[in-house]
Amino acid sequence: MATPVIMPRQGQSVETCIITEWNKQTGDTIAKGDVICAYETDKASFEIEAEEDGTLLAVFFEDGDEVPVLENIAVIGAEGDDVEQFRPGSAQAEAPEAAPAEEKPAAPKATSETEPPAAAPAPTADRDSDSVRISPRARNKASRKGVAHEAVQGTGPKGRVIERDIDKAIESGQQRTAAAAEISTPQANEVEGTGLGGRITSSDVASGNTVYSNDSEVKKLSNIRKIIAKRMHESLQNSAQLTHHMSADVRRLMDARKAVKAKMAEENGPNITLNDMVCFATIKALKKFPDANSHFLGTEMRVFNKIHLGLAVDTPRGLMVPALKNADDLSLAGLSNQLKALADSCRQGNVDPALLESTAASFTVSNLGAYGVEMFTPVINLPQAAILGVNTIINRPADVGNGVFGFVPYIGLSLTYDHRALDGGPATLFLREIKEQIENFNETI
Amino acid sequence: MYDLGIIGAGPAGYVAAERAAAKGLSVVLFDKRELGGVCLNEGCIPTKTLLYTAKLYENALNGKKYGIVAENVSFDFGKIMARKNKIVRKLVGGIGAKMKKFGVEVVKGAASMEKRNTDGTIDIHCSEKTFTCKNVLVCTGSEAFIPPVPGLDKAEILTNREILELKELPKTLTIIGGGVIGVEFANFFCALGTKVTVIEMLPEILPGIDKDLSEMLRKDLEKRDITFNLSAKVTKVEGQTVTFEKDGKEHQVQHEKLLVSVGRRAVTHGFGLDKMGVEVLKTGIKIDSTCRTNIPNIYAAGDVTGFSLLAHTASREGEVVVNNLTGRKDRMRYSAIPAVVYTNPEVSCVGLTEEAAKAKGIEYNIRNLPMAYAGRWLAENEGGSGFMKILTGKKHNEILGVHAIGNPSSEFIYGAAMAIELELRLQDMEEVVFPHPTVSEIFKETVFAFQE
Repeated sequence: MATPVIMPRQGQSVETCIITEWNKQTGDTIAKGDVICAYETDKASFEIEAEEDGTLLAVFFEDGDEVPVLENIAVIGAEGDDVEQFRPGSAQAEAPEAAPAEEKPAAPKATSETEPPAAAPAPTADRDSDSVRISPRARNKASRKGVAHEAVQGTGPKGRVIERDIDKAIESGQQRTAAAAEISTPQANEVEGTGLGGRITSSDVASGNTVYSNDSEVKKLSNIRKIIAKRMHESLQNSAQLTHHMSADVRRLMDARKAVKAKMAEENGPNITLNDMVCFATIKALKKFPDANSHFLGTEMRVFNKIHLGLAVDTPRGLMVPALKNADDLSLAGLSNQLKALADSCRQGNVDPALLESTAASFTVSNLGAYGVEMFTPVINLPQAAILGVNTIINRPADVGNGVFGFVPYIGLSLTYDHRALDGGPATLFLREIKEQIENFNETI
Repeated sequence: MYDLGIIGAGPAGYVAAERAAAKGLSVVLFDKRELGGVCLNEGCIPTKTLLYTAKLYENALNGKKYGIVAENVSFDFGKIMARKNKIVRKLVGGIGAKMKKFGVEVVKGAASMEKRNTDGTIDIHCSEKTFTCKNVLVCTGSEAFIPPVPGLDKAEILTNREILELKELPKTLTIIGGGVIGVEFANFFCALGTKVTVIEMLPEILPGIDKDLSEMLRKDLEKRDITFNLSAKVTKVEGQTVTFEKDGKEHQVQHEKLLVSVGRRAVTHGFGLDKMGVEVLKTGIKIDSTCRTNIPNIYAAGDVTGFSLLAHTASREGEVVVNNLTGRKDRMRYSAIPAVVYTNPEVSCVGLTEEAAKAKGIEYNIRNLPMAYAGRWLAENEGGSGFMKILTGKKHNEILGVHAIGNPSSEFIYGAAMAIELELRLQDMEEVVFPHPTVSEIFKETVFAFQE
């Protein structure tokens, strides 16, 4: 008996997921526990494992497709099992919904047992003529490119016309002149046609009067990229942020780091990094300046009495900022361990999505020091009131006592704060407190 | 309040009026003269009527080539002109009926944009009334340009307008300017027996037309006793004598009538362009690819823009304006506008000329084929000459230009225009079926000539 593979629901707010890669193809033999495909939400990526043995009989979506949760995406079963009943949008699969609309005589059904099941979803002729199913994206593109979408065969669920169907229609040459088709590239679809009836001409493709020629490629944004774009833009638009820069003498931190290394060599001690120490110092400073450990909510502020430390992590999919809950409860070693674990889970794509919410953290640290950045203006993760940017260490001349000047290593600290929540005075005092915590670092390693 | 006010009822104006009204816009159309503009009243239509008469007469005279014996062949100049007037009247009446049918309000009189209102609408004054329009299309056309030649201002001259009103056939006619207008009138009057002399400043007649075609036409006309003075500069006009300089020497030619057809100039004064702040270049009103001027709700189309002075360009420009006004994105493309010289034989061209391709540095292939390759042409053009020339892009073999001399090339040149618009390649054209036997088959034959 064939069983469908369902797109799981990841959290209450997730309505669709994007299939990133199929690990198995139609016809492959599947063993329970095999990874069938990978998919991502806007926050993380996941894998779907087979829940039973069998053959992958059908795959209903392609890489890059955005699929509603709980939708059938594939079928596993024995060779010869009927898969059509599981096809998204098929009458059987959605019987209660589809039945009332079915007004056609049942004649085709009577013979359906002897006929092969329809390979494609409802053909054009069967569609309700005055409400052609088409996605908004596809409709938009069709109208922009002058494609008669009514004539396009939809390949989406329920025979819906989706963007790639329009792309295909364009690619098949409908909208290009003969000479343009000869030199077309997929990205030429983005070119504005200046020819007869909006056709793309060879000069449009070759550059002509368009902004883009075939010197670039249009890539779709991943969900995570869209989220980052939206949040960062909103942050700059909706707050009054500015950045103060200050440096802290890190001789004590570097001594501590030396001790860590020695201990690692001797007895396998934890690898506590400079960043861990700066975070530890920052947590201590936050304890003294609770207003910086807050969310600014327009007409009120949520001031936290616990510290949930957000850490900006660079991952192959883009920036992620997971929160380490109750970071103020942790020892230096504990903090180090947990930050590491959190960063790893982000890079592997299995972090708990709830920790990625911008409201999960009360304050964020972003460290670009390892890349040699000397100064930057981090962008606040709203509604948090501030974010600390940590820069590289620079040796600077300083009075080392008794009028003697020498080179002292300083670490750059860039505090961006929302002026709606904090004034310059307290923000500076808070930054100075971080500096002092670093300079007077005295945790025993 | 009107959606669209149109100043000028030539091929840009009346076509735009009809299209706009058909799409539901309220339209008012102004012209101080008859509907149809220069094209209908003193250009395209009357001259083609005359040229057809000339062709019939020539064929009658030369009937023996076809085995026909016609004796005492003669013509009645008055009746020729009367028939021309009848055709024009009929077509003008036809436009009037069309305007009525589509509900276009036609106002006769000199119209002028007088005021821009605070809501952006424009007040046009005409016949002591004010018409408020949301958009204005200016298509006031062009007029014959009279060059500053000494004595020309005092001389008795004809332009394309007056020459169509002649009551009697002149014995001698001198034409200053060997462009399309000059050459067509030369052909007509020569056919009826007038001794015609053409004086052209450039080294060849018909500037803009492929040189091989112009040259063949000129030689054909020279055989019929038209005198062409090329690279010749008119220095003086005095009484019935034109003095010109050629090869450093001074020449004189006597005439009964003198036609000045050195070019046409956009009519940009007298209807409020300056009041509205519309940008006017030396050649005409400046427009973008949607025929919009620098003022968002003022458009211009046709000869008044100063380039591509052709009726069919004007009509298409008018349509582009209406399409964009009614929500259909459209733009002008000037790369595939056919041009025809209605002489006998006809010269029909569309797309790039060889000279233009060279000037633009476009790599091309080229083939020439005599018209005689089309059996139908041979059957109907005893002793005639003609050929077709096709330019294709070197890289994609797309059709870039098609040039033909031979009758009736004007009737099938549009097929080449479509090929250029669609960038059809030779291999695409090879799949098109042409009716046999027709002269149009020369197009297909020349396409296959590229295989050689």
